[in-house]
Amino acid sequence: MALSKETYRALEDIVGTENISDDPALCDSYAFQWLAETVRPNRSHFMPRPVAALVPGSVEEIQAIVKTCNRYRIKVKPYSTGWYFYGAPQKDGDDTVQLDLRRLNRILEIDEGNMYAVIEPYVVATQLQAELIKVGLNCNIIGAGASTSVLASATSYSGGGPGTIWMGHNSESLLALEWVTPRGDILRTGSLGSGAGWFCGEGPGPSLRGICRGARGARGGMGVYTKCAIKLTHWPGPAQFDIEGTVPAYRTPIPDNFRVYSLAFPSLAAFAKAYYRIYDNDLGYIFHSQFNMLGGDLGPAFWIMYNDPTKTLNDIEEIAQKPEVKKLTEEMRRAFQIILAGRSLRDIEFQDKVLDQILAETGGWKVGRMTEPDLAEFTYLYLSRLGHKHLNMVYAGGYSGTWNQPGTPDYTIQYRPLAEAQLRAEQQSGLLVQAGGDSMMGPGSTLGGGGNASFEQFVSYDPADKESVNAMKQCMRNSMKVATEHGFPAGHVVPYVQIGMTDEQLHQQFAKANQPLVYHLQRKIKELLDPNDIGDRMYSWLPDSKDSQPG
Amino acid sequence: MALEDYRADMLRCTRCSYCKWVPFDQMKSGKFAKGCPSVEYNRFQPYSAGGRLAAALSLLEGRSSYTERFVDIAYNCLLCGSCDVSCKVCRYNIEPLRAMQELRFKLVEDGQLLHQHKAVIDGLRKEHNMLMKPGAGRGKWAEGLKVKELTKEKAEVAFHAGCRMSYDGRLQGIARIAVSLLQKAGVDFGIMGENEFCCGGRAFHMGYRTEFTKCAEYNIGAWTKAGVKTVVTSCSDGYHTFKRLYPEVGSNFEILHMVEFVDRLIKKGAIKFTRTVPMRVTYHDPCHLGRQGEPYAPWNGKEKKIRGQIVVYEPRKPRYNGAWGVYQPPREVLKAIPGLELIEMERIKEYAWCCGSGGGVKDAYPGFSAWTARERIEEAKSTGAEAIVSACPWCESNFSDAVKGNAMEMKVYDVMELVQQAL
Amino acid sequence: MPDRRIELAQIVGNNNLWDDPKALEAYSHDQSFALSIKPWFVVKPKNTDEVQWLVKWANQTRTPLVPVSSGPPHFHGDTVPSAAGAVIVDLSGMKRIIRIDRKNRMTLVEPGVTYGQLQPELAKEGLRLTTPLLPRANKSVVASLLERQPTLIPKYRWSLPEPLRCLEVVWGNGEILWTGEAGVPPRSLERQWEKGLAQVDAKGPAETDWHRLVSAAQGSMGIVTWASIRCEILPRVHRLFFIPAKNIDDLIDCAYKLLKVRLGDEFLLLNNVDLACILGDGTESIKRLKEELPPWAIIIGVAGRDILPEEKVEVQVNDIRDIAQQFGLCLMPAIPGARSGQVLGALLQPSGEPFWKLGYKGGCQDIFFLTTLDRTPEFIKTMYSLAAVFTYPCSDIGIYIQPQHQGVAHHCEFSLHFDPSNEAEVAKVKEFFTRASEELIKQGAYFSRPYGVWANMVYNRDAQSKALLNGIKDIFDPNHVLNPGKLCF
Repeated sequence: MALSKETYRALEDIVGTENISDDPALCDSYAFQWLAETVRPNRSHFMPRPVAALVPGSVEEIQAIVKTCNRYRIKVKPYSTGWYFYGAPQKDGDDTVQLDLRRLNRILEIDEGNMYAVIEPYVVATQLQAELIKVGLNCNIIGAGASTSVLASATSYSGGGPGTIWMGHNSESLLALEWVTPRGDILRTGSLGSGAGWFCGEGPGPSLRGICRGARGARGGMGVYTKCAIKLTHWPGPAQFDIEGTVPAYRTPIPDNFRVYSLAFPSLAAFAKAYYRIYDNDLGYIFHSQFNMLGGDLGPAFWIMYNDPTKTLNDIEEIAQKPEVKKLTEEMRRAFQIILAGRSLRDIEFQDKVLDQILAETGGWKVGRMTEPDLAEFTYLYLSRLGHKHLNMVYAGGYSGTWNQPGTPDYTIQYRPLAEAQLRAEQQSGLLVQAGGDSMMGPGSTLGGGGNASFEQFVSYDPADKESVNAMKQCMRNSMKVATEHGFPAGHVVPYVQIGMTDEQLHQQFAKANQPLVYHLQRKIKELLDPNDIGDRMYSWLPDSKDSQPG
Repeated sequence: MALEDYRADMLRCTRCSYCKWVPFDQMKSGKFAKGCPSVEYNRFQPYSAGGRLAAALSLLEGRSSYTERFVDIAYNCLLCGSCDVSCKVCRYNIEPLRAMQELRFKLVEDGQLLHQHKAVIDGLRKEHNMLMKPGAGRGKWAEGLKVKELTKEKAEVAFHAGCRMSYDGRLQGIARIAVSLLQKAGVDFGIMGENEFCCGGRAFHMGYRTEFTKCAEYNIGAWTKAGVKTVVTSCSDGYHTFKRLYPEVGSNFEILHMVEFVDRLIKKGAIKFTRTVPMRVTYHDPCHLGRQGEPYAPWNGKEKKIRGQIVVYEPRKPRYNGAWGVYQPPREVLKAIPGLELIEMERIKEYAWCCGSGGGVKDAYPGFSAWTARERIEEAKSTGAEAIVSACPWCESNFSDAVKGNAMEMKVYDVMELVQQAL
Repeated sequence: MPDRRIELAQIVGNNNLWDDPKALEAYSHDQSFALSIKPWFVVKPKNTDEVQWLVKWANQTRTPLVPVSSGPPHFHGDTVPSAAGAVIVDLSGMKRIIRIDRKNRMTLVEPGVTYGQLQPELAKEGLRLTTPLLPRANKSVVASLLERQPTLIPKYRWSLPEPLRCLEVVWGNGEILWTGEAGVPPRSLERQWEKGLAQVDAKGPAETDWHRLVSAAQGSMGIVTWASIRCEILPRVHRLFFIPAKNIDDLIDCAYKLLKVRLGDEFLLLNNVDLACILGDGTESIKRLKEELPPWAIIIGVAGRDILPEEKVEVQVNDIRDIAQQFGLCLMPAIPGARSGQVLGALLQPSGEPFWKLGYKGGCQDIFFLTTLDRTPEFIKTMYSLAAVFTYPCSDIGIYIQPQHQGVAHHCEFSLHFDPSNEAEVAKVKEFFTRASEELIKQGAYFSRPYGVWANMVYNRDAQSKALLNGIKDIFDPNHVLNPGKLCF
């Protein structure tokens, strides 16, 4: 499909000639997305192509675009940094314009005392962090890493990460918000709407914040978030990371008031117990089960390889076979990383004592090799900044998360062996990367202060190899099957798989959900906010005819 | 290689956008966080490495065809390689810079040319330089210098001035300083003078592979005939071309940039500074000396898979990720100058922001080129430095133009000019 | 209304239905200046089914329902009908503490469960709830949290609705939803518990945070029939300190620093009036204490809850002392008129009788809003200026500043004490209250919980939110049967 000349001109008049294009190749570069090949016909790497791409420069322009799209019944799909197939147009046949928000890239305010920053969509986490640490503050960088938009994770996507236990989930930290609704209204939530500033996202009265994002956000399917304030936290580290080491093995000295550990445990029960004890004792500035994302069998060898800039993946087998690495691999089968940060030296010494007691109670230990300066300094920088997070793509360029059902630590360790057995079996074909069955990665807590965990099984495949893509698709399906057979929700891949469904399939799935009412209510909310259906189905709903809630 | 050979790279791109930024660990502020000038200036996604690969894939898959915009996407890039470094923070099996270069080769082969480039290339074909100047005037910069001409005499060392220094009146002095330093150090060297040809590097980056090869074959032949073993140049473009591109054409000369040569001389005590240069300066790493100035390693192999699907290479493939570029020698030279204070910018070494002069952009997109330089001058100013120093005439020329064109207060020097002041 | 009585009796039973004048009178007014309107019936449902039937019945008969969970006295007018013919749905009979889960630090309770009831039960399991400032013993825990009342420990409040997590909501249209993590399968609390789940995560399900739509809704969106709540570990060592000052301005930078590094458990700023009301026993005692106490104090509790509790307290106290010294302030275990143990004891218990705000003059009206700490002095100045205009003694204004959401937002509360039997004084305070509210809003005070007359003041300044809220209200309560006349509905 193509935009009519009239529509193109109407949009062009808003953003200017230089900020709109309907060139096929240009639009295809927006359609190209990670994971598309797992849901698109013929394993294409392209999602549906937008009819035009626009790079608006202000909220006023966005409002005008949205109103124009209402007039012409064109769908609008905004994105901030644009990573993920969620960010692209979703359905063939829909005329969708892609809004690339990269020009909304300002950090508008950092309020040091009141600990919040006001940001636009294209401010990525590291940009914000780099400015914050200069004034002793920090922000939660989500698990997807340094390159993600802070606004997007707070409003529209997932917002947990290694720092969540201390800093909170980004949805918890979302304060006031400026939102161009699909109707083209500009809503300002919380204190902002009352002209009282950015510091509060709730109210007045019932929080409209509640329709802006829930367990997940609308991922661009329900208007455009143009500014938000995000709560910040204390950073007791240096004003700038002094980077040492050679690319890519950057590292930075660990300050005296920090401790960086990889902790390992004799059993999953002990591992889970440690989580609870850490929660109960308010420990952990950064707490993440991170390094086994590259596989229980191969992860330690990878990290050692990665930290030697003269080495490449060609060397990984040889490294993995070294006796000391084999020993390390076994040692780290059930391990996580934790960074303690003390507000004072006496505080960090105390935290260290508490951690030692937790290790004594649980039978855990500090992994010696990981506390040696090279890897400890690497770990400190890596987890503080998450600037290497796309190493989850390192083996062959393809990765998909599976499992990842959130819940209490006791709950999550129940599915971990199932996930491990499932992946090991899948890897037998040789069509997936054979890095070990347990590549379960997850934040120490998905919520501020602890309480909930989740473990995502990282599965690597080669997106350039259609058989490997097929194996990945099969693995995704099987992960859901095994999970549900054992009484767990189908997990992380459900919304992935849903991208490839027809509307009818999707609605059938929603109708069978635990509470179909959720989707009926969301339909009503959509009807209220998006009467002309210019958003997409990333905001999920059930049509009226599928009534199944008894009421 | 052909563009098709990079199809797997395109498919394995995860569109993570690392290519748009400096390596995240190195990000020191919100302001100077961007790494890719092309996408910053041109805004749309395909002006990033990831986007360009996607557009190329679209072309290969027949989803799109050549359009004015497509041609613009392919050429409107400095090929500075910042994307390549940042991509490879997390990747070992993808080559965005090479793929983008290959895209240009394909466009040229398919006749999808920029008329601005065509004019320059026509000049190269006729006059053997990239500045559309008469070939006959190429040796004038060396007039009055008592230096061997390698077409007449033999020498172990060749000094290659390069197009920009040969013709640009503002920069010829740098080549003369280089010659005088080589002379002072008692080096047995010569120049090609009027018979010097362009290195061909800039033609290569514009996508003109044949013209590059011709230049390379000529220069290699001339040096071989003159008994040259080492080639020294003050031009970082030339350095990269000789060091990284010529070996593919059969060259095996030792290649040194003047900053490396002078660094050696200082360390050996062959150069001693006698005057102070009281100045706060900041150093700009030229892309072709820094991240793209890594040593060449031959490789002729193929992809293979281990552990099911891990993509590796047989034999082991050299990894160019900016780790081993020429970063310290220019800094060592500057630090050795009495009274001179070196302050670093935020984006340095393998993640330096480009000067805006490369990739044929200066010729075809002067506005983009000037903007890129202006951004760098702003960054230099933010350090409190009074001068920006580089080691490439193309950088210096572009910075000087930006300073002049925008009435900015910043002095622009080549490292050699400051060395000269301190002697 | 014989038919309605019969119908209601069929739902809740005759024993849980009242329409005698005395009972109706009790629900027709509160301590606020809200218009007194008598309800027609008071019902006490016993379970979710009855609540759902009541709501369905109300939709059929277009009868206003006014949910009430806590016992009296009420202060904000939200539990007083704003429409005639209302039925009070008194949830105080739904008093089950359904679960206490020590390991996951969660409790799940019905709306009638009060602080006075819950805290001792939690203590048996080694847990406790962070409370508002001296709640009355009959205060519903769920209602308090739903109304986003401020709580004393900012560092454990990662979001403003904390520690409220998952809910069972009967919406105004009679539909029932389980919110948050509880809303994903299996749809049985028992089966979720068997799996090890504990209804911890408040978000969702799907793209909506449903619990936020019932928060601060004054019962106008839905009726919550159970809620899961995050608890804290009962301290093994618990101390309390004061950082006194003559002016609030002297405390602000220090408070910011302490909040930033999350020092202190209980953390609040009180002026002498409020602290005197907490500690005093009757008018004279409060008057005397007011004179004795320093004008301002940060009150900071320090707890050791689990491993090495003594040492934890010691480390924190030393760090607090160091920071206080940096600002030229002193950390003290006692101040004139107040001792550490005495105040800690008060903070850890529900209020005695009479409610602590009524002890001074018998009546009290609060003006409260959210702001940032740095702005509180200007609001105080405004209040004092207006007090002069209305000849209300500044020295009688209680001021309570409670950091929320880990110090990003601050609840600022002015208490205007008055003699309810003195009509002239009541009228003066009412006028002062209204005018001050208007002025503070104009000045940028954020009235996030707009009760009574505040609603118009707030929503008239935020037309977009008002319009959208009305649209949302129409979805969840299409016939506007739930507490009509409140907020912007």
